[in-house]
Amino acid sequence: MTAQERVHVVVDPQDNVTTVLDQSVDLVHLSGGLQVARGVPFGHKVALRAIAQGEPVIKYGVAIGRATCGIASGEHVHVHNCT
Amino acid sequence: MFTTAPKAPRVGLPTHFSGYARSDGRAGVRNYLVVFSTVALVNRWAELIAETRPDARMIAGEFMRGLRSPDAARQSQVCESLATHPNVGACLLLCHDASSARHWRAHLASCGRPHAVLALMEQEGMEAAVRAGREALARLDDDRRSIGRQLCPIGTLTLALECGGSDPTSAMIANPAIGRVVDALIDRGGSAIVSETVEFVGAEAPVRARSQSPELADRLVAAIAAAEHRLEDDGERYRGVNPTAENIEAGLTTLIEKSMGAVTKTGSHPFVGLLEFGEKAPSPGLYLMDTPFFSPCSITGMVAAGAQVTLFGMGVFNPSGNPLAPTIKVCGNPITGAHWRDAIDVDLSDLLDKRLDLREAAQRVGDSLIETVAGRVSCAERWREGQFIVPKTLTPL
Repeated sequence: MTAQERVHVVVDPQDNVTTVLDQSVDLVHLSGGLQVARGVPFGHKVALRAIAQGEPVIKYGVAIGRATCGIASGEHVHVHNCT
Repeated sequence: MFTTAPKAPRVGLPTHFSGYARSDGRAGVRNYLVVFSTVALVNRWAELIAETRPDARMIAGEFMRGLRSPDAARQSQVCESLATHPNVGACLLLCHDASSARHWRAHLASCGRPHAVLALMEQEGMEAAVRAGREALARLDDDRRSIGRQLCPIGTLTLALECGGSDPTSAMIANPAIGRVVDALIDRGGSAIVSETVEFVGAEAPVRARSQSPELADRLVAAIAAAEHRLEDDGERYRGVNPTAENIEAGLTTLIEKSMGAVTKTGSHPFVGLLEFGEKAPSPGLYLMDTPFFSPCSITGMVAAGAQVTLFGMGVFNPSGNPLAPTIKVCGNPITGAHWRDAIDVDLSDLLDKRLDLREAAQRVGDSLIETVAGRVSCAERWREGQFIVPKTLTPL
């Protein structure tokens, strides 16, 4: 990766979110090229693809919650849109 | 809703390792010379005997008399398991009184491992007692040196799985990397034990989905429910709302997400059983052992069950270990990695500077496991970290 991309980890191939592990909140791309919203803090999740309202949010290969509204690819996923 | 059995590329492990084949069919990764104080009354005697032998390992704890039925049975079973642990090359076992010594001599008569049993009450003064102990230990050292390493199937390994000092890097790097090594070992017929039941609160659904049978799923979930009940049943509140405000700030959205940070170190194979504290697994595979969450205590239980090595995922440093089983410390936090270079075996934090690849992280843990079981001294062994703690449920007599 270059310094212009955010460090992130996808734990399981089935996951539809990834977790960013750097402080570069102003960058707009994840390593690998996916566009990401600005401002997602260290340790927080980003949607790897669009997630429809009611669809499971999958991390570690398991459903950790459901989308409470439609979530766009690259959007921050947290308590405001997942429960 | 939950799925198992991925898909992720497996970690490479050899089919065999160079270990110590024991007559009971198990394999040791070490051939330790052990001084075992079976009751706290003789802990000092054990120290005096062992102090001239820096390579000797001590098994000493708060082993006591006056325990009531379930606690007495547990302590006795743990002690008997430790004396014949596969990593014990030879054992000098110390008792206080002659009747205990007779019990142990009978118990160990056919264990197939060099051993000697001494009772303090059979000695005549401390100087003589220490001398007798040191002489016995020297003989045992000669005996165990005649035992050499030979190729043992990798499936004879049982891993104890632990995490402590957890942070977002341990949930995302160290623990998932450990989980992939667990998958690879179980693929090869090996076993792994995870414990600290209360850490599974919130992960009931994935545990149920990964249970080998509905009956086992019920037992696992009941054990988790009992641990959850203990968080409040005495009127104290041992935890706040889960996930806490601090967890949410750190990026954890739901309780299940928080719990999975610890559960991910178990990999993706099904759970095949639930074990009591210190209970040996009846067959290979992945087990949950019902233990308290304090690492020195839960590791004691898993080592008593026969685990020969511990994989320990951490965020901030944690000095847990065990005198009988090497503990491999795995860390993905760059600050911890920089400060605790001399106490961490696998530093994965450099992967944060590259495009992070969990498979590479897991392979490093797997390689460290193979080097460690073949004899490389782990950091926890170098610093002699660890102790034995057996939980008690009733006030002793």
